[in-house]
Amino acid sequence: MSLLQLAPMAETTLAPAAWIVRNLWLIPAIPMAAAGLIALLPQPQRRPAAALAIGSLATSFLLALVAFVHVLGNWASGAPTRETISVNWLSVGSSTLQMGWVLDPLAVIMLVMVTFVGSLIFLYSTGYMSHDVNFTRFFCFLALFAGGMLGVIIANSLLLLFMCWEIVGLTSYLLIGFWYHKPSAAAAAKKAFLTTRVGDIFFLLGMVWLYAQTGTLLFYDHGAGSMEPAALQLLLGQHAAWGLSAAAAIGLLIFAGAAGKSGQLPLHVWLPDAMEGPTPVSALIHAATMVAAGVYLVARVFPLMSAGAGPGMTTVPLTVIAWIGAATALFGAIVAVAQFDIKRILAYSTVSQLGYMMVGLATGGVAVGMFHLITHAFFKALLFLGAGSVIHGCHEEQDIRRMGGLRKAMPVTFLAYTVGMLALSGFPIFFSGFWSKDAIVGAAHHWPVSQGPFWMLLIGAVLTAFYMMRQIGYVFLGSWRGAGHAHESPAVMTFPLLTLAFFAIALGLLGTPAWPWFTSFLEGRSLSLDLAGFQEPGLLPLMAATSVLVLLALAVGWRLYGRRTDTQASALGQVFVPDPLQSAAPRIFGWVESRLYFDELYAVTVLRLYALCGALAVWLDRCLWGGIVAVVSAGFRQLGRWNKSIDSGWIDGGFDKGCEELTTAGGVLAWLQADRAPAYLRTLTIGLLLLIAALVIAASVTGQVKL
Amino acid sequence: MTPVSYGDIFRILTPETILEVVSLLVLFVDLAWLRRASQAVRMRTASLLGAFGSLLSLLWLLPNHAAISAMGGALVSDTTVAALQAGILGLTVLVLLLGIRERFSRNPGEYVALVLLATTGMLLVAAARDLLLIFVSLELLSLSLYVLAAFAKARAASAESALKYYLFGGISAAFMLFGFSYLYGLAGTTYLPAIAARLSQLPLSPIELVAFVLVAVGLGFKVAAAPFHLWAPDTYAGAPAPVAALIASGSKVASFAVLIAVTAALVPAWGWTAALLCMAAASILLGNLSALVQTSVRRILACSAIAHAGYMLLGIAAHTTASNQAVLVYALTYALTTVGAFAVVALVERSTGSDRLDAFAGLSARSPLVAATLLVFLLSLAGIPPLVGFWVKFQLFAAVLQAPAATGWGLGMVVLAIAGSAVSLYYYLQVLKRAYVTASADSSPIDVTPLESFLLVLLAAAVLVLGLFPGLISGFFAMF
Repeated sequence: MSLLQLAPMAETTLAPAAWIVRNLWLIPAIPMAAAGLIALLPQPQRRPAAALAIGSLATSFLLALVAFVHVLGNWASGAPTRETISVNWLSVGSSTLQMGWVLDPLAVIMLVMVTFVGSLIFLYSTGYMSHDVNFTRFFCFLALFAGGMLGVIIANSLLLLFMCWEIVGLTSYLLIGFWYHKPSAAAAAKKAFLTTRVGDIFFLLGMVWLYAQTGTLLFYDHGAGSMEPAALQLLLGQHAAWGLSAAAAIGLLIFAGAAGKSGQLPLHVWLPDAMEGPTPVSALIHAATMVAAGVYLVARVFPLMSAGAGPGMTTVPLTVIAWIGAATALFGAIVAVAQFDIKRILAYSTVSQLGYMMVGLATGGVAVGMFHLITHAFFKALLFLGAGSVIHGCHEEQDIRRMGGLRKAMPVTFLAYTVGMLALSGFPIFFSGFWSKDAIVGAAHHWPVSQGPFWMLLIGAVLTAFYMMRQIGYVFLGSWRGAGHAHESPAVMTFPLLTLAFFAIALGLLGTPAWPWFTSFLEGRSLSLDLAGFQEPGLLPLMAATSVLVLLALAVGWRLYGRRTDTQASALGQVFVPDPLQSAAPRIFGWVESRLYFDELYAVTVLRLYALCGALAVWLDRCLWGGIVAVVSAGFRQLGRWNKSIDSGWIDGGFDKGCEELTTAGGVLAWLQADRAPAYLRTLTIGLLLLIAALVIAASVTGQVKL
Repeated sequence: MTPVSYGDIFRILTPETILEVVSLLVLFVDLAWLRRASQAVRMRTASLLGAFGSLLSLLWLLPNHAAISAMGGALVSDTTVAALQAGILGLTVLVLLLGIRERFSRNPGEYVALVLLATTGMLLVAAARDLLLIFVSLELLSLSLYVLAAFAKARAASAESALKYYLFGGISAAFMLFGFSYLYGLAGTTYLPAIAARLSQLPLSPIELVAFVLVAVGLGFKVAAAPFHLWAPDTYAGAPAPVAALIASGSKVASFAVLIAVTAALVPAWGWTAALLCMAAASILLGNLSALVQTSVRRILACSAIAHAGYMLLGIAAHTTASNQAVLVYALTYALTTVGAFAVVALVERSTGSDRLDAFAGLSARSPLVAATLLVFLLSLAGIPPLVGFWVKFQLFAAVLQAPAATGWGLGMVVLAIAGSAVSLYYYLQVLKRAYVTASADSSPIDVTPLESFLLVLLAAAVLVLGLFPGLISGFFAMF
């Protein structure tokens, strides 16, 4: 009777798939293997660690490019652009659980983005973390993170996606708490882990439900997958509760998981705190990639979310996503206006932009949301790395009130940062953010259900331009208010900045209404250059209106913050000249600065509840179980007394002996930590890996095994 | 499911049961009656009782074995298994008797009880034919040995060696269990012959190769084969002498027995033999070369043990009836010789407080008898005729060369092994040179009891006689 069976690679594609499709798994596997190797390196081996991490991700990037070209080729020749490979993973009784990977335009775009941005950020990290003792560990985590994220992207099974999702969550925890000796970092890591776990529980429930209903967790399986019409029809027919179909209910549960990862209201609280991690981590995980995983998940299960929607209609999950996304977008933008920490402003901006992406998905479809995801990844990574450069140059200062005038000291950073800021603000025509954000606002405008999200997004866009101008004004304009002298960062840090700045501008070309390459590619439609795309009703007026609003907001920001004249002396004395908004409306500014008291709300509700449960558990432990233990131990104590009366010398002797042995053991432990025993174990593991490698290579060379 | 035959289980497990009962008896006697007795008396009583129990078990085994199996074939008893178990029991008797004057422990009862538990583990390992049972009995053996290695509580070296042994062993066992789980996943069974049948049908997959290497880590650790050998020099050097002898003798025999059983299951697939050969070559090279630079005799014995493991792995990789037989004979006689060598090391240590090469200077003047037995043991380990070490090596290599599976690699590996044993002569002679040529500052005679002299002479005589009349070995196997 076999409960678990590891079947050999059973490929279920009909035609023999291309090499890159068969070996797509290498893209996440290579960084993961690199992480394993780095973990084996001793701490001082900094250079090999960084080389392994960057090399592995660069290799993945090249493979992703090969995959991209492959998909492009299919698209150009009219062949189906979605290919899957499935493997029997385990069989329980008569049912078999399959896993596999999928290569389609959605996945390949993400693969290229994550590996490219990731490689740049890895490179940047070698400069940013150059003084850190735990450099090796840092790159181990980074590589593991990249592997997990790439696994999420290529997964063709909700289960595999969930497993990689959890790897991503784990590495996020490890990296936020990387400087775990800082209590705030340790607390932020814990908060991030627990908050996203709340969403993940719902995600897991949705996954189990989906498996129970459809019997498969594969997304696409030649008609038998859970995202394909047959399964969706089945799910639509099932009724859950409150008039929801099973499809809607499962969609909402999965969205809860996505909301946790992507920092949507009300689970956004961890994301700003996550800025306690090193800045490259903020750029990689909490701006460009990991938080995008939630958006990507929604895009991946979009057929489920939109199941049952006819023309001009929408579904319950999409309605919920649109409203939550819009609320998050507005909320994030409001809070960002009143922050003083350079990274925190960007963090709330990320929360806000993730809201935009969600609205884009819900109202405009996969392509609209994903386009903003991609452009945002580039310019937000740029902004974060720019902020890192500023922080690095200002000697770990993060308060924008103690900066100022940096355009002279850090010209390259200033240039790149301005590009990022204009892209994020949606400065007309020349920046990618304009095109992607405008597509979302336009989609929300045409949404049949309500105009609410549209107005919220519009206000959010105005605020975005304003707070970014405010930040630029504080940091780069005016006069220097900090201590010491700021300096420009090394080339290894500015090179990624300039590269990202280029893409922050250029990517916009891929998504203009006249040449909608991105949408056509994702949807597998043919593409042509057609200026008539601009003549869609209401498009041009809307674009003009948003442009005017954004320019106005930038102008107001410039007026208020462009020429601040507070001096170094006042800032050093910890007496800051109040923010113009603060003097105008101190009370409202105070609320917003305190992030609308979300953390405080959770502290008095959820955390209070936990504290109560904890107190109850302590009481049970002390009084009930403790009492039982006390009774048992009293019995044994009695036994001990009886024993002692037989032989009183024994216990004393034993105690002395125990002390002596503790001393000896301490000496031994001290010796063991002198790295000889770890070296033995490392040799054991390396021997094991070498032997495996030798066997596998020999087997494939002699043709025993086909890889 | 066929009904479980408890009668068969009990019949197969009677030797183990005897050992368990005696180990409890030893504990009881030591704690109940000998509490106020002197350390020496307690050690003597416990060791004698333990040796008596092992002998009892051995005597029961001689007439009462049969080709039966229990628990669906998971536990077997046949002539080879019985001969091995008898050999293991005999080795335990020798180790206990030779350690009778040791003073490393204040708790002799616990020490002997643990030795008997470890022996139980060895007997079970030799008889197990199921992955789960193999793992459990290997753990019983290993855990007992970890504790025993730490038993000289007053010496930091003992604790250190035990910790290293434990860390290394724990990780290896985890890897092995992981490998077992893959094997189970591939074959859908934990029963070795069924695994063999299933593997011969399956096409080779990378996961299978991973499983093989993971299993090889666990078993390679037990037999101290490179690259999983690093614990051996430290543990041999730090553990109390009788414990080191036990690790080097009985535990080795049992581990090689299980390695043969596992090989029978895995050899239909391509990668297992290759893994064994990699380990064998690495062991022969590393073992012999690292022995050259050692200055401690215990470490020399440890490094030579690694090299011997390499030779035996060749026989296992060849995997014919003859080569398996040759490996078992090699393991048993090697264990016998090593027990003798460790006994001499223990005597020298007791007299000089050290096991360094210099401590052996002038041994022939201080005690001609001890020096002569050491000469016999070491030359046999080096494979000099007419001692038994020569014959078993000869038979092993001959069996490897005749094996059909070894046509591709047999000659090359045997040449490597012979070159290795030529190198080994150098370091064995280093010890003997100290004993016979170098003069010693201290010429007081070494204190040897009649029992120790008797046992040493008995062992040396066995090594010589078995070498002169190799037929006696097959006679031993034929007794079963």
